[in-house]
Amino acid sequence: MDIVDMLLNGFYVSLSLSNLLACTVGVLLGTLVGVLPGIGPIGTIALLLPLSFNMNATASIIMFAGIYYGAMFGGSTTSILLNVPGEAASVITCMDGHAMAKKGRGGAALAVAAIGSFIAGTMGLIGLTFFAPMLADAALIFGPPEYFSIAVLGLIILTRLTGTSMLKSSLMAVVGIMLGTIGLDSLTGISRFSFGIDALQRGIEFSVIAMGLFGVSELLETMIQPTIKQRLQKVRFRELYPNQEEWRRSIAPIFRGGMIGFLAGLLPGPAGIISTFASYAVEKKRSKNPQEFGNGAIEGVAGPESANNAAASATMIPLLSLGLPFSAGSAILLSGFMIHGIVPGPTLINQHADLFWGLIASMYIGNVLLLIINLPLVGIFASLLKTPLNILMPIVLVVTITGAYSINNSFFDLALLIGFGILGFFMKRTGYDPAPLIIGLILGPTLETGLTQSLIIGNGNVWSFFTRPISGIILGIGLFIIIYNLSGWGGSWRKDSGY
Amino acid sequence: MIVSKSVVRSVVFYLFTTLLLVGCGPQAKTVTNIDKYPTKPITMIVPYAAGGSADMMARAMEKVAQKHLGQALVVTNIPGGASTIGTNELAGAKPDGYTIGYVSMGSFLQPLYGQTRYHYSTALEPLVQVMSTPSVAVVLAGQPWNNVDDLVQYAKQHPGEIKFGHSGLGSGNHVVGEMLAKEAGIDIAQVPFRGESEALTALLGGHVQMMFTNPPTIKEYIKSGKVKVLAVASDQRMTDPEFSSIPTFKESGLAVVYHAWHALGAPKGLAPEVRAELIKDLSSMILDPEFKKNMEDLGMTVEYLGPQEFEKKWVEDNARLTKIIKETGIAEKIAAQKK
Repeated sequence: MDIVDMLLNGFYVSLSLSNLLACTVGVLLGTLVGVLPGIGPIGTIALLLPLSFNMNATASIIMFAGIYYGAMFGGSTTSILLNVPGEAASVITCMDGHAMAKKGRGGAALAVAAIGSFIAGTMGLIGLTFFAPMLADAALIFGPPEYFSIAVLGLIILTRLTGTSMLKSSLMAVVGIMLGTIGLDSLTGISRFSFGIDALQRGIEFSVIAMGLFGVSELLETMIQPTIKQRLQKVRFRELYPNQEEWRRSIAPIFRGGMIGFLAGLLPGPAGIISTFASYAVEKKRSKNPQEFGNGAIEGVAGPESANNAAASATMIPLLSLGLPFSAGSAILLSGFMIHGIVPGPTLINQHADLFWGLIASMYIGNVLLLIINLPLVGIFASLLKTPLNILMPIVLVVTITGAYSINNSFFDLALLIGFGILGFFMKRTGYDPAPLIIGLILGPTLETGLTQSLIIGNGNVWSFFTRPISGIILGIGLFIIIYNLSGWGGSWRKDSGY
Repeated sequence: MIVSKSVVRSVVFYLFTTLLLVGCGPQAKTVTNIDKYPTKPITMIVPYAAGGSADMMARAMEKVAQKHLGQALVVTNIPGGASTIGTNELAGAKPDGYTIGYVSMGSFLQPLYGQTRYHYSTALEPLVQVMSTPSVAVVLAGQPWNNVDDLVQYAKQHPGEIKFGHSGLGSGNHVVGEMLAKEAGIDIAQVPFRGESEALTALLGGHVQMMFTNPPTIKEYIKSGKVKVLAVASDQRMTDPEFSSIPTFKESGLAVVYHAWHALGAPKGLAPEVRAELIKDLSSMILDPEFKKNMEDLGMTVEYLGPQEFEKKWVEDNARLTKIIKETGIAEKIAAQKK
């Protein structure tokens, strides 16, 4: 096979001493920034770009890619142990991961996250190796009408993800969509709801809001706990790794999560976070005991943590075979290429075959390295919890603030971070779940630009959403879900009126 | 809101205290040793996200800065608001020569729509031009049109059917599309996207029929045979071999010229010695063959203009753009939306 030969050649390239070293440094850094809340791969790569000037092109691209997918491995750590998401893509892991930690199964959750990440990341790589150009062309069939339909379907499915009250969840999703309208409107060029504040013209950065609502609010929560409770349960060594029952329950979610993440990675948008929400929704729906979700269901860790790794592999497909960065993460990788004079595009695979296959081979190696690094770390991280929270949490806060600042170099974002942290604190106390708000904030702008662009392209014909086959099928599924659930929702509406 | 305000206030308080403490020492030094400028790293504001062509240009400069400036050049990306947020930051910075920024013809357009804090052509000081790129009209290789005349003929027979994508409302490439529509008297509809790569994705997927963009963005796609360029919006044909066979709009009798410059600027009010030193160092940096080579690898061609010529262009282009956006009706469109 041609591809196998080239891949073997890629391994030859990536196993050279300098490239192997670059890969190791990359995945180590990736794990580190993944673990540190708020500090993400984008800021880290941007910071390292100038330092890579003196490095060889292949080595530095291998390193940058390592940071990018390595961060997806580490993101779950603080989500599980401290209920503070390490990356936006690990927000959903807090729900069940932290609940597991409270029950003393934190080690198991960390191990399942690491192994799931490895399996799904490798699944994504296999897809990348054999089908990259074909899948990239298929992804182009999706245009603005399809993005619109996916956003609609996403809002229908994901809004009811975690909360118990339909009314409160919908309200949060609507608030999220409203927050998403802030900033420069792409159709009219008007700056909306920015009140003359420059920073608001940019729009609201969802990772800052996610860090505030989930991370800072949790820090405030620990502050009001009595000191005696401020120690989490100790993890004994025997409990560090999953038992047989937990294994059995994790296998299928890992593979399903891998598939979902892979598909999400092929489409524009923050694939990592969207794929985790989608995987969580699927696992909850398929589970025989959906009430367990939110109280430490291992499927709720295994699925999403696998999904974001497969998404990281899959976002490389449009980037490497078409030169199109579909997310902020792959955009920064693109500059990593360009800074060394390599312009990704349809010609990359042929013109820079060594680099292309070397990079892919290094990602296989990187995934194995990450597993080797992360499994022993489970024990170390778990013992970190022996540190009293009143020492640990302020450190976490400082790191979070640093990370939030680094996204846009904006002080205003810090005000947003703290403001939404306080808001999140009160939301949790009053039973409002922040997850639908994040979903609204992410999908809202896609919904809006998708709608306006489609209407211009379709000469104002609304029916074009239904007559285009893919868009029509997606909207049909959404409609079916609404009708199917109407009776159930009717019940929950009545229940809500008691609030 | 009250909470976040007080946070802003305290953040600002700490910021100023720190600045005061940090600033006292080196500042005293700069005043006494003005001829030794620069004594610390120079910040370069790029009003776009990392990864775009503006960022690439800045990074290529960052790479060779040390040997020309004697100091490091630190690139700070402040993206958003169609480049206005970062450019406002630049215009409001202290004119001490330690903050410079990427300025392009595209940034000049924003104040003309009437919603920025500064009028950049007067709030900023031109330094030197680094490169200049014309807009090009691109279609999928499978389209039946081979030149602008084919396109114009088709658009006249099918008004409103051709849609063109661009990187954002009021951006340079949007303006070029409107210029063509007006000049040729055809009805083509604009579709705004959030950035070049989104617009390119829609073009490659066949969701829009045409796109206006810059040569470096599209070069690899021409090589691979996915797209073809109908015309170049410049006075003369391009010298790059990949583009030299492509006619200009002018050759078809259409006065569509949009040649965007990419340059360096500073906040108004630099001390003359500082300005002279800065221009001297930046010029030697841009003319450095190593920098030129790096830029060419990125698909960009260095086109240096010294302070006098560039200042002249700066003033002329502002006047020309003001006229263009009035004639094409873009300014009115945006003003009408604001009411």
